[in-house]
Amino acid sequence: MNQAQSVLPEAARAAWPYAPRFARVNGWRMHYIDEGAGDPVLLLHGNPTWGYIYREFVGPIVASGRRVIVPDMIGFGLSEKPTREQAHSLDGHAANLTALVRRLDLRRITLVVHDWGGPTGLSFALANPERVRALVIMSTWAWPTPAEFHTRIFPWRMSHAPLVGPYIFGKYNGLTGRGMYLSVVDRERYRERAQAVYEATLPDPATRLLTWAWPRWIPLDAEARAHDRFVWLERELAKAQWPATIIWGREDDVFDHATFADRFKRLLPQAEGPHLVTGRHFLQEDSGPEIASLIVDFVDGLDRKGA
Amino acid sequence: MTASVTIAAKPDLAGKRLAFALAEDRVGHYPEFRAFFAKSFDLDRIGLAEPGFVTAPSGLAYAFVFIGRSGEPFPAGVEIYAVVDALEPVEETTLDADLWAVLGWMIDGVGAPWTRDDLEATGRLYRIPAAAKAAGG
Repeated sequence: MNQAQSVLPEAARAAWPYAPRFARVNGWRMHYIDEGAGDPVLLLHGNPTWGYIYREFVGPIVASGRRVIVPDMIGFGLSEKPTREQAHSLDGHAANLTALVRRLDLRRITLVVHDWGGPTGLSFALANPERVRALVIMSTWAWPTPAEFHTRIFPWRMSHAPLVGPYIFGKYNGLTGRGMYLSVVDRERYRERAQAVYEATLPDPATRLLTWAWPRWIPLDAEARAHDRFVWLERELAKAQWPATIIWGREDDVFDHATFADRFKRLLPQAEGPHLVTGRHFLQEDSGPEIASLIVDFVDGLDRKGA
Repeated sequence: MTASVTIAAKPDLAGKRLAFALAEDRVGHYPEFRAFFAKSFDLDRIGLAEPGFVTAPSGLAYAFVFIGRSGEPFPAGVEIYAVVDALEPVEETTLDADLWAVLGWMIDGVGAPWTRDDLEATGRLYRIPAAAKAAGG
């Protein structure tokens, strides 16, 4: 039994049979999987998930003749989990990813981003454009204007307020348990197949720090720590010429598609989509095989065009 | 049982230990929270000289140990410790309920737009045991 499987509930092990790999990146120990051969597809998760959210993507994309790399963000999954909030920053996480990509010398990357995988992955892409072939964008954002949901005190800002975050998200794993449960469409299926797996990799309050630290990096005004990075992201992304596709959950009520997918479409007018699938914010849980198929079709199309 | 959280004098610590309960690395994420602690515990005058103390609904005392960080307003962080008998384990349910009461006291003190109603609704949404109990659940 490998290290990943040893932390997974028995029922979930068949869904994640991949060999764990580890790399030192930017001073941290990062876990990732690396399956198949061909042009790389790099799948980036967000808060509070880990590579497991892409369990239904790996097989179909590898079978299509591509190499699939799925890292666990530092602070999640099987990667190292720093115990101080100051260990985390948006730029630092982008640098972690850059270190992994350089170590593996990945080129012609199709970059698949979700949630905080968006700002970190797109920061990497814009700083290392020669390594990127295309973008797949799902339920995320890349500009300094917050989602309306993120401006509300109930439930969002209260959930990670000083001391409240360490209590609700730390002591009670609120985001991984109840938060994700409320952010999928088929909640019973999520409870049966996935919830315990996400909870298993964040077993103690100290391991859950990033679940309340990430929300504090969402800029709510021009004074926010990451505001300037998001301004840069939006400005530079508007100049990007990469082929792209936008995939969104039809029922997403955090980053609603009418606001967010459409804004990405305006920013990247060359992008395909938005393709709407069944899903709230964690759309991979509701429509994994369908999204994997959309990604394979998209990359097949790039190959046909010689892109 | 006392009815609420109140600021208290330093208790007699003989035969006691400070049992770690909760920590916050970034108390000024929303600056009004930092201002609340600075005002409540007179931190502009006292600084790091002494922890602040409160008495919680169970009757236990809790120490607030404030953390300074160069280049940031004080306090930058805070650690909360239960004052318990030195060799006795903490009673987790009691500590949990006390911490929930401390959070409510803090939100009341921070004031609008932060409200205890929103805290309690958030606690119920996330199925926090102490929030359910406080609501009669």
